[in-house]
Amino acid sequence: MKHCGLLNGWLFAFLLALAWTAMAAEEQQGTLVVALDTLGAQSMDPIQETRSAHAHYQAPMYDSIVGLNFEKGGAGPGVAERWELAKDGLSWIFHIRKGLKWHNGDPITAHDVKFSLERTMSKESISSRGPGLRRDVKSIDVLDDYTVQVHTNGVQVYFAEGLSRATYQEGQLMPKKYIETVGVEGFRKKPIGSGPWKFVKSVPGDRIEYEAVDYPHRMGTPHFKRLILLLVPEESTRVAMVRTGEAAIASISPESIKEVKAAKLKVVSVPGTMQAVYQIYGLYRPESQKNPLADKRVREALSLAIDRQQIIEHVMYGEAKMPMPFATFGYSVDDDTERWQKWSREALRYDPQRAKKLLAEAGYPNGFELKFANTAMAGTPFMTQIGLAITDFWNRLGVKVNYTHYEWGSFAPLLLREQNQLVGVASMYRTAGRPVAAARFYGAFHSKGAHHLLGRGNDCPELCKTFDELHRAVTVEQDAVKRAEKTNRMIELVSDAWIAVPIIEGMGYWAVNPKMVGAFKAIPGRHEFGDLFQRMPRPEQKPWQ
Amino acid sequence: MRRYILRRLLQGLVLLVLVATIVFFLGRLTGNPVDLMLPEDATQEDRQALIETLGLDGPLHQQFGLFVANALRGDLGQSIRYRQPAVEVFFSRLPNTLMIVPGAMILAVILGVPLGILSALYRGSFIDRVSGTIAVLGIATPHFWLGILLIYIFSVQLDWLPTSRMGDYRHFVLPTVTLSTFLLAGFMRLIRSSMLEILDSEFVKLARIKGLSETIVVWKHCLRNALIPMLTLWGVFMGGLVTGAIVTETVFAWPGIGRLTYEAVIFRDFPLLQAAIIMDAVLIVFINLIVDILYAYVDPRIRLAE
Repeated sequence: MKHCGLLNGWLFAFLLALAWTAMAAEEQQGTLVVALDTLGAQSMDPIQETRSAHAHYQAPMYDSIVGLNFEKGGAGPGVAERWELAKDGLSWIFHIRKGLKWHNGDPITAHDVKFSLERTMSKESISSRGPGLRRDVKSIDVLDDYTVQVHTNGVQVYFAEGLSRATYQEGQLMPKKYIETVGVEGFRKKPIGSGPWKFVKSVPGDRIEYEAVDYPHRMGTPHFKRLILLLVPEESTRVAMVRTGEAAIASISPESIKEVKAAKLKVVSVPGTMQAVYQIYGLYRPESQKNPLADKRVREALSLAIDRQQIIEHVMYGEAKMPMPFATFGYSVDDDTERWQKWSREALRYDPQRAKKLLAEAGYPNGFELKFANTAMAGTPFMTQIGLAITDFWNRLGVKVNYTHYEWGSFAPLLLREQNQLVGVASMYRTAGRPVAAARFYGAFHSKGAHHLLGRGNDCPELCKTFDELHRAVTVEQDAVKRAEKTNRMIELVSDAWIAVPIIEGMGYWAVNPKMVGAFKAIPGRHEFGDLFQRMPRPEQKPWQ
Repeated sequence: MRRYILRRLLQGLVLLVLVATIVFFLGRLTGNPVDLMLPEDATQEDRQALIETLGLDGPLHQQFGLFVANALRGDLGQSIRYRQPAVEVFFSRLPNTLMIVPGAMILAVILGVPLGILSALYRGSFIDRVSGTIAVLGIATPHFWLGILLIYIFSVQLDWLPTSRMGDYRHFVLPTVTLSTFLLAGFMRLIRSSMLEILDSEFVKLARIKGLSETIVVWKHCLRNALIPMLTLWGVFMGGLVTGAIVTETVFAWPGIGRLTYEAVIFRDFPLLQAAIIMDAVLIVFINLIVDILYAYVDPRIRLAE
């Protein structure tokens, strides 16, 4: 009798699974076609991709150890349902969800998590944070099939956030058993993941095709049967494809917004994907002390001379916001959003009279000569237009702007090495929207950071030393309240220096054909839609209002 | 003739070595892929580690020595971006470009030659003025703009053709037309001026005095001679087609070698850039060699001079 009950239970479960599969198959229809400006390296092996393109094309098929908060942006539960910092602060413990599986049906375990992190940290990996992980991680232990402990070199309070695609790509999960069975080459040819989409085909330089999983997925079960990501580098062509219905969605820049709206298509703007800023280099160096920019009043005057609202309306076609302080966004962790929004309204206002007064007080009533390097990073070509706009505002203030335009690839070496050619020069820069401001602050201001705007090595004056100490205090502080206090102090210190000044908070822009895809909401801060395709309904399921 | 071919081959080889050297050093002067690959908060140690992983460490002359040694074995390195042998990546895209280049060439010949002949025969007429206008527009209109215009008219407004990408025969129409315009205009003008020159020559006058029909004069005597300079232009234009493909392939999302070269420049993928330009150069040198040989056959004066 007991056996009979068990058998009935199994039968019921089997029938339920069958019914679900049939329902899901019926529910999933059609193909979602998306035209993108880049498919990056177009490698389905996560350790072969370096930058944000992974969030377009790897995210659909690879789940992540730490996930996303779909509503607010930033990190949220992922393959790990929760995680905690050990009491001594020297290790993180990740608790893996039970019942998750790879596309070949194998269960996901803690061994896959350890394997994935170690593979990302390996010498073979060119993933952009690979070297950073090698530096931060001491060892990884599997405590049981569903618990992993990562021992870090020193206290790393933001380590877990770094494993979310809200921040970096390095939390992507790879199948240990499968890779060990088929080998790396076999995996690259026929990859499997654990995301809501299964890999079907990749045609280099052209497209990647996926098929929806036919079982309930923790990130949402896809409504479409197939997903095709097309590489279409030219924006006019992408817009034309959405107009003709060849694609449902296409990435666009602000210049196309008018055209897209005129064609009765939808524009989906993703809030908080980037901040356009200008930065001033090498002011800490002795040779800069006679530069007018060495005077804080002059730097503040430059900011007050910029009418950000005009830039938002005329350069960004209304699809941008007043920024918060450098590298902070509405979804940033450990800062006082309300306070900084208020600060932004006051400090980043347009006040040409005050700007002129400050210049006069600093001894430059007739202006001065300013070298300005305008450049646009990949994916944000509109930065050049913003650069031109602020040049005009500065010229109007009486500053004679000596303007040079650089292609980003040529400008990057000037910025990321000795910076000898940039001493006393202002340039355009973009900081991407990420939840942990401290990481961006390190790159921009720390004496060992790539931009080292406040000082470098032994050439680290008082402001630089204070920042370095404060930054360290933030990143090792385990008490959340104290960490927030210190983070706010760090933001204050940098904001008052007027050395890296936000201009606007930009968005990610997409043209959408409402006849091809239903209404959906973007994830704040995550420009790419790789984590979102499974949540996009078909047009008849949820029409656009 | 054999000496002539051998000399041309040697010249081609010297040219390739020069191209390879220039591309190697100039490419590295303009930036570094590592700078484009690392995140904002990367440290100098992170940068150094990636440089070593990518094999970009060591002094430049040492890297060049390694490049030359490998190139002699047919290995042009591994693409930094695609993590595959650069030559392999190039050849995987080459067939796509070869699908539109011959079409563009054929279209240009089919339309350009007859229009050029008609313009010359009916000099100053309506046909001459129309074809003259087409030629000017063909040369002056940037491929980029023309491509977008054609997409707007034939795909967005009329819905006759797909906007872009590879696919059935309909996908070939717009990129082929776009790519052929410059060539068509060039052929048209060249044939016209050659024909005018030949129509005015002594031997044509003699043929007419002998009572030969106008058809024989035009098609046998004039056109055969007028086609000789076209051969030279064909060699030059093939190079133009390969570079023109960069723009056309970008506008029409065509995954060929033109776009691959463009991406290699933007991403500072040195091995791929080197491979693409060297292989492009090989292609162009080879085509020009064929043209030179054909030229020598067609025009005996070339052989004799050699």
